[in-house]
Amino acid sequence: MALRLDYFFRETLQGLKRNGLIAFAAVSTSFIALFLVGSTLLVSSEVNLLIDFTTRDVEVSVFLQKNVSPAEQQHLSQVLSAMPEVKSVSYESPEDAYRHFQEIFKDQKNLVQNVGPDALPASFQVKLKNPEEFGVVAARLASQPGIDKIRDNRQILKRLFAVIHVFRVGVLAVALIMLISAAALIGNTVRMAVFARRKEIGIMRLVGATNWHIRVPFLIEGLIEGLIGAGGAILGLFIMKVAFIDPLRGQLGFFPLVGTPHIISVIPWLIVLSLIVSSLASLIAMRRFLEV
Amino acid sequence: MIKLDNVTKVYKESVVALEDVSLEIGKGEFVFVVGLSGSGKSTLIRLLMKEEEPTNGEIYVAGKNIAKLSPWKVPYLRRNIGTVFQDFKLLPDRTVFDNVGFALDVIGKPRHVIEQRVPEICGVVGLGDKLKNYPDELSGGEQQRVSIARAFVNRPLILMADEPTGNLDPSTSVDIMKLLDRINRTGTTVIMATHDNAIVDAMRRRVIELDCGRVVRDQARGVYGYGA
Repeated sequence: MALRLDYFFRETLQGLKRNGLIAFAAVSTSFIALFLVGSTLLVSSEVNLLIDFTTRDVEVSVFLQKNVSPAEQQHLSQVLSAMPEVKSVSYESPEDAYRHFQEIFKDQKNLVQNVGPDALPASFQVKLKNPEEFGVVAARLASQPGIDKIRDNRQILKRLFAVIHVFRVGVLAVALIMLISAAALIGNTVRMAVFARRKEIGIMRLVGATNWHIRVPFLIEGLIEGLIGAGGAILGLFIMKVAFIDPLRGQLGFFPLVGTPHIISVIPWLIVLSLIVSSLASLIAMRRFLEV
Repeated sequence: MIKLDNVTKVYKESVVALEDVSLEIGKGEFVFVVGLSGSGKSTLIRLLMKEEEPTNGEIYVAGKNIAKLSPWKVPYLRRNIGTVFQDFKLLPDRTVFDNVGFALDVIGKPRHVIEQRVPEICGVVGLGDKLKNYPDELSGGEQQRVSIARAFVNRPLILMADEPTGNLDPSTSVDIMKLLDRINRTGTTVIMATHDNAIVDAMRRRVIELDCGRVVRDQARGVYGYGA
């Protein structure tokens, strides 16, 4: 059978024109759903960026006791350096720690005034070859003298990220509900289009049009609605970036923020998702009406 | 061309539309199917189109057993059968050209074939000057000509007409019959369900009479009723 593109697009365009309002509802619902999915994906990227950023320098802090002797300190340094899991070790004296502290909290004068240089312990800042091996390193250090506390910095962040994760799941759930309603609305527009053209369809069947020939214009109609929604969602993500994320970029200084490359990496997901949802919706909607 | 072997069609387990019908229609024949409303004429046509499945029996169309036809092949069966109805079934928002071209358009025929064949067939049915008119600008007889043109534009082997003159006055009906006769002379098998006795009597063709789903008469060069 010859492919007649002009035929399919003419029929599709007529269908879209004929029930504009419901088509608009379907487009806007799929827009909201895909925008939420896109936002969730961007939040995930942001979380990954934060994890990378915060764990890039220090993965494990080994805090030393106040009264640690220079010999013990020396010994610990050697033990740490000798471990195969360890990539690098650096010593942070109480003075270094205090300077670091002043730097971080320079806007909070009260806090800085109330903490003296002695309040902060000395520590070894350890980078691991594989951050997952924290347990091995911690177990081996446990028996060493002079250690006050061993902290897995990733562990602390993980707790924060667990909260973000719950938030993400919530947004994703809302997005899922929106996707289902988008599918229902797209299915509904397709059904209306089929109903509006039932006379044509009857004649098409009579003169021997194949089922796919009858279906394709309606399928394209559904796909276009989904794709317009996806296009809107992508545009929305870029607008959100320009309006809300870009202004923050200067102010948070060291804080990494998602940018254009992240949005671009989300685009194929949104397009694929919109195609799957709208084609499924259209095909299911047509099943009942287009049986031989 | 068409063969029915002991075909029975029962709707919802109680209404018997056709009962044990066997008949054969050869290539190029012109056959009237007559009978009262509810005698099974329309059911017969629907079975031949495979719009319905027979409850029992075998149906052969163009050498194929259509009971065993898989659903995706049904459209190709229908391309061999043109159909004309009492109510014309034209699309009111399309011109004569587009209504006739629609039949070629939806089976994927290229544009240049449509441009060539539609004016040609419209000329044959006598509507060569009405290509750009809409159905509501035409008389009943002209509308039926459009629907015949649409049924015939794809050169089917069989033309089935279900009460094609049911909505037309007698003189217009005669014109339509002349057109169907002309189509029959091109070698197309024509099956026409009707209860227009004047036409049947005038044409003197094969008559198959159905009554309550049974064939009660099958007569070459017949008339509408006994002793008419």
